[in-house]
Amino acid sequence: MTERPALTEDEFRRLCEYLYRRTGMVFTEAKRYYVERRVWERMAETGAASFAGYFALLRTDTRDEIQQFVNAFTVNETYFYREEYQLKCLTNDLMTERVSDKQAGDPIRIWSAACSTGEEPYSIAIWLLENWSRVDEYFIEIVGSDIDTRVLELARAGTFGKRALMRLPAELIGKYFQELSAERWQIEAQLRDSVSFTPVNLVEPGQTRQHGQFDVIFCRNVLIYFDDTSRRLAAENLYDNLLPGGFICLGHSESMSRISPLFDVRRFADAIVYQRPGTRT
Amino acid sequence: MTAVPKTVLVVDDAGLVRVYYRSILEEAGFRVEEALNGLEALEILLARPVDLLVVDINMPQMDGLTFLGTLREKEGSIASIPALVTSTESADADFAAARAAGANYYLVKPVEREQLVEFARMLCGVRS
Repeated sequence: MTERPALTEDEFRRLCEYLYRRTGMVFTEAKRYYVERRVWERMAETGAASFAGYFALLRTDTRDEIQQFVNAFTVNETYFYREEYQLKCLTNDLMTERVSDKQAGDPIRIWSAACSTGEEPYSIAIWLLENWSRVDEYFIEIVGSDIDTRVLELARAGTFGKRALMRLPAELIGKYFQELSAERWQIEAQLRDSVSFTPVNLVEPGQTRQHGQFDVIFCRNVLIYFDDTSRRLAAENLYDNLLPGGFICLGHSESMSRISPLFDVRRFADAIVYQRPGTRT
Repeated sequence: MTAVPKTVLVVDDAGLVRVYYRSILEEAGFRVEEALNGLEALEILLARPVDLLVVDINMPQMDGLTFLGTLREKEGSIASIPALVTSTESADADFAAARAAGANYYLVKPVEREQLVEFARMLCGVRS
């Protein structure tokens, strides 16, 4: 069995620097146990006998270890209809504003920028089907992305447990899910096909740009894991990914005004959201 | 609704629109099949006829009007399956073109739930 070596101060610092460069996520001594646990997990998985051996494996990216390592670090706790007030805002205000200068049949693009196992983009799809009577008037495209490729696989499969569905009315579970076994449900195939999933690292402009511009971006409870520099970098990337006049929704404890001056703050009845200034020409 | 549910084929390239129409029609007691474009719809109909078509106009591979025109030329009973066109196009010329291609009725998107059910029932000869 692999040892569980405590990392030296120097090893811990080098690892955190590496993690920061690769993902933008910041970990300090306060999170040492959290970081070490994941290193031990990966060492056991890869059979590395020492931290030095594992770190070498990581840096040479043998067997796609960087991605595996990143996957072990991401937090994937979420559920359907989380922060429902923003979904209300989407259909009460944001969509109306976005379509005001669109033609019927035009695309409306929505991006769930850290979608984890898919609860958020599927919630957006279900919410629109249930609450926006113009859903057939436009070509709605929903993209879900995450830095963690493992969760994207789960998102595509679309199976969820009781906890993920706890906020969803039973009627909607019956309508859009199939019960697979006791307390496991799978979202119906057509809804799964209506959301496309793709890996994106928000601090890598090369990765964010290739997905084009969106009308609305949901980026909730992600930037809290970044430090000021990478948070700002991610905000600038997200700005470029918004159509002029497009909106970005952050988590309830997050404020874009602290991160970047690029966006206008808009207060709607249900939520505060941020907007890329300007209108389409 | 009758004991044997009527089957509707929804032909639309937008995935969410297909889910939307299907949920409305299933709730009203219809069975629903789906096709992404006219070509796929023709293939499905060769295998098994349906009672009603709900057809979008702008679709890749084969648009709704070409699909209806092709279908109406076919031999046998599938040529006369009633068709409800749903489209964002709302000019008189579009209505005329749809009628010429063989549409029985035309609804401009966004289509209201009640409206979709009402016309589906009417064209299938089902009482509510």
